[in-house]
Amino acid sequence: MKRLMLLFLSAVLIVGFSMNTFAVSPIKVVQMKIQNEPIISLYFVFHTGSIHDPEGKIGLARLTASLISDGGTLKNSLKVINEKMYPIASGYGARVDREYINFNGQTHIDNLETFYTLFKEAILEPAFNEDDFVRIKTQMINGIKTNLRYSSDEELGKAVFKSFVYRGTPYEKNVAGTVSNLESITLDDVKAFYKSHFLQDNLIIGVGGNYPATFPDRVVADFSKLPTGNALEYKKIVPEKINGIQVIIVDKPTVSAGIHIGFPIDLMRKDPDFHALFLANSWLGEHRNSSSHLYQVIREKRGMNYGDYSYIEDFPNGGGLNFPPSIVYKNPQLFEIWIRPVEKDKRVFALRAALRELKSLIDNGMKKEDFELTKKFLAKYCQHYADTTAQRLGYKIDDMIYGLKESHLDNFRKNIEALTLDQVNKAIKKHLQYNNLRIVFVTSDGEQLKNDLITNAPSPITYRTPKPEEVLTEDKEIAVFPLKVLPENVTIIKVDDIFK
Amino acid sequence: MKQRIILSILVFIFILSTIPLHSGIFPFQVHRKVLDNGMKILVIPLPNPGLVAYYSVVRTGSRDEYEPGHSGFAHFFEHMMFRGTKRFPNELYQKILTEMGAASNGYTSLDLTVYHLIITKDDLEQLMDMESDRFRNLEYTEQDFKTESGAVYGEYLKNKTNPGFLLNETLMNTAFDVHTYKHTTMGFEADIKAMPTMYEYSKSFFKRYYRPENVVLVVCGDVVPDQVFKMAEKYYSPWEKGYVPPKIQEEPEQTAPRSGNVKFEGKTLPILAVGYKGLRYMPDSKEYVAMSLLGDVMFGSTSDFYNNLVLEKQIAQFAFASFNGDRDPSINTIMVMIKKKENIDLVKQTIADTIKKFQTDLMDSKKLEDLKNSNKYSFLMQLSSTGDVAGMLPSFIALTGDITAIDTYFETLGTVTPEDIRQAAIKFLTDNRKTEILLEGE
Repeated sequence: MKRLMLLFLSAVLIVGFSMNTFAVSPIKVVQMKIQNEPIISLYFVFHTGSIHDPEGKIGLARLTASLISDGGTLKNSLKVINEKMYPIASGYGARVDREYINFNGQTHIDNLETFYTLFKEAILEPAFNEDDFVRIKTQMINGIKTNLRYSSDEELGKAVFKSFVYRGTPYEKNVAGTVSNLESITLDDVKAFYKSHFLQDNLIIGVGGNYPATFPDRVVADFSKLPTGNALEYKKIVPEKINGIQVIIVDKPTVSAGIHIGFPIDLMRKDPDFHALFLANSWLGEHRNSSSHLYQVIREKRGMNYGDYSYIEDFPNGGGLNFPPSIVYKNPQLFEIWIRPVEKDKRVFALRAALRELKSLIDNGMKKEDFELTKKFLAKYCQHYADTTAQRLGYKIDDMIYGLKESHLDNFRKNIEALTLDQVNKAIKKHLQYNNLRIVFVTSDGEQLKNDLITNAPSPITYRTPKPEEVLTEDKEIAVFPLKVLPENVTIIKVDDIFK
Repeated sequence: MKQRIILSILVFIFILSTIPLHSGIFPFQVHRKVLDNGMKILVIPLPNPGLVAYYSVVRTGSRDEYEPGHSGFAHFFEHMMFRGTKRFPNELYQKILTEMGAASNGYTSLDLTVYHLIITKDDLEQLMDMESDRFRNLEYTEQDFKTESGAVYGEYLKNKTNPGFLLNETLMNTAFDVHTYKHTTMGFEADIKAMPTMYEYSKSFFKRYYRPENVVLVVCGDVVPDQVFKMAEKYYSPWEKGYVPPKIQEEPEQTAPRSGNVKFEGKTLPILAVGYKGLRYMPDSKEYVAMSLLGDVMFGSTSDFYNNLVLEKQIAQFAFASFNGDRDPSINTIMVMIKKKENIDLVKQTIADTIKKFQTDLMDSKKLEDLKNSNKYSFLMQLSSTGDVAGMLPSFIALTGDITAIDTYFETLGTVTPEDIRQAAIKFLTDNRKTEILLEGE
């Protein structure tokens, strides 16, 4: 067995990475050749997204991409595509974000030819037929009217929060669109968007696995059929100045309250303070991890909800993912605290508890022991961020998008281990603050909540079960933690008016 | 050190076809040991430098909650198990896991509760020391217990905002009379609310089910089997036997179709769920395997049903079917979200017509071959990382106590014919097995 393991290892450790810009093509290619990796991963990433949705047509980028990934082509109807993909258990999908549209899929190497042909045709020869258009448009409209507004308070909160944080910028546009805008989109709009936004010049191709040596060249040659030129505008996103604490309350019938708190931050992966703030944030609120301090305070000690986390980079689909997704680049990024639904009568207390912890971190910095522990944690935990070829390839593409000279993932541990407590605490002071925030609640009785916030009324907590003395003592401080919210800074929106 | 870490980040490759380690579809060698106390350990070395997946599979899920008023405790223990022991109180346990950079979590379903961690291999012994200790010596105060019950109720409230959850809850409650599949894994809401008063009961639940005979440990990744077995002897052997099987009532045969309606407090398109009672999981039974394929064949994404209702007529927003066996006979379900209320009857009729067709005609043999290939590649493509390999095993362990069922299922699958499919449709898709629930919004 030992001999077999050695064979395994010697066979698999032939790994190569490269990033190419082919001399004759403006298309950028990220290759991750891995001997004996039977799963082939493919990415086609276009630098366009909801930032390019025209006024009155919000949702157009998403609708166009969905028609490509979930519609027929000039050669095959969707029904035929499904039939051909079925025996090879493969498929491709589109993830549309503010800045990027990412088509990706995987297949077993046995089936690369079938898979690639169908995938290529989807992007290069979409049929854009009326039936597919009506089906997907209806799905998107229903997705807002029923799914987003009524099926998941958590995703609703995240979507409203993101638009609110980036209010006044192109990032404000909801990726999934608005009902009235979607209704106004025509098939001609889709065709025009496709023609002008799916270009060689804004395309990154990612290829991973044990693909044939000539495969990347073939893909580039195929995708050179896309138009060249790039007339797309990429205006620098300059967020509005946030004055004080601004609140949106999404008012809907519910017994709970989900809370999102945050602001844009001008800190990107290539910036010197990035890892320092990453570490501080990991301590404050590592996603889906009980090491998160907010989790300890709100869930572990008080049993108020399912989890409490914080972020210094956008993290879509937080309810479904354990580790950060790739290709969701934003510039500027955002800082976010996410309090998962608490019982309604504890919503102001939960807000105060989170703000108090944020203030404490900024005013006092991290303690030496917390810093050392989080450093140890991240040095190992980073190994879980991307454990498949597809995920690692996503990170490699991100390296290109973020303009990094060295790999974010490969150098993560080194960069974390080099940090000092002083650097971390300086970065906290420099990039985080607690006076100018945007907050979103998804809850019921919005007027009552507004009143509780603007009057700064104490919000004592009661438990159904006894709690230790130290928790009760701390509760008294949390219950009166000052909230400086002006009436004019609170907006109540009925859920049926969200993204209407 | 740096080299090793980079490798562990960068390299996880499986040679699925070049080295014949094993004749079945599961491509890795499995090393087994059963301790004297009945605990089974499966060790699966994988070519993944540095990382180890550690899965403790408790063969107890909400199925085992047979005492009235006590549903939800299997899931509740998924929460309580993080509360610590004398040797490793919660804070110390958390601190060590944090130092390890462990990715840890747990989940519960009808038939199992799983505690899983992925760590670096140097931490394996320390982890086994801690994990064996909490399985043997979990200790929590009444206060801890009550606090955690609040978090569980919070999770229930979160789930309740999803119409799919409500629909499933109603379907199970209607379809079953006495079997514990009547309640979902979360439990009945009234029972969850009453949990804080059940501290003493919780301890008896733990004593009965968290026993070595009822737990299978899976260790996958950069490991040497003999070393793992030696460690397991040291840490798990002192765990005393004492498993008490649950007294689950057998569900009487259903004699007439059932139906119900449920109102979702919010807006949603109508969702129709049609369930048919089926067989328990039996991978060596051609009848079972044929039954498990019916959902995909009749209502899956390449079926005439799907093409007709979702792609062509566009009556349905989505349609899917789930035909999977559980440890006891459970329910196979077809779910359709319908765009307009006036089409509900049409969808019901189309489901009935589809069933009738498959009961009468033989399915296309090429389609059956496509389905077999789809199953094969779908399985192989799940083997992308240590966590993925380990993550696919618990359900087989819960259902059968081992993972040989994987190869057995695929062997049986190879023998299924169109006539087997027809016979399964005749036997399992009858009105006497049917429960139909319609969920509508405000």
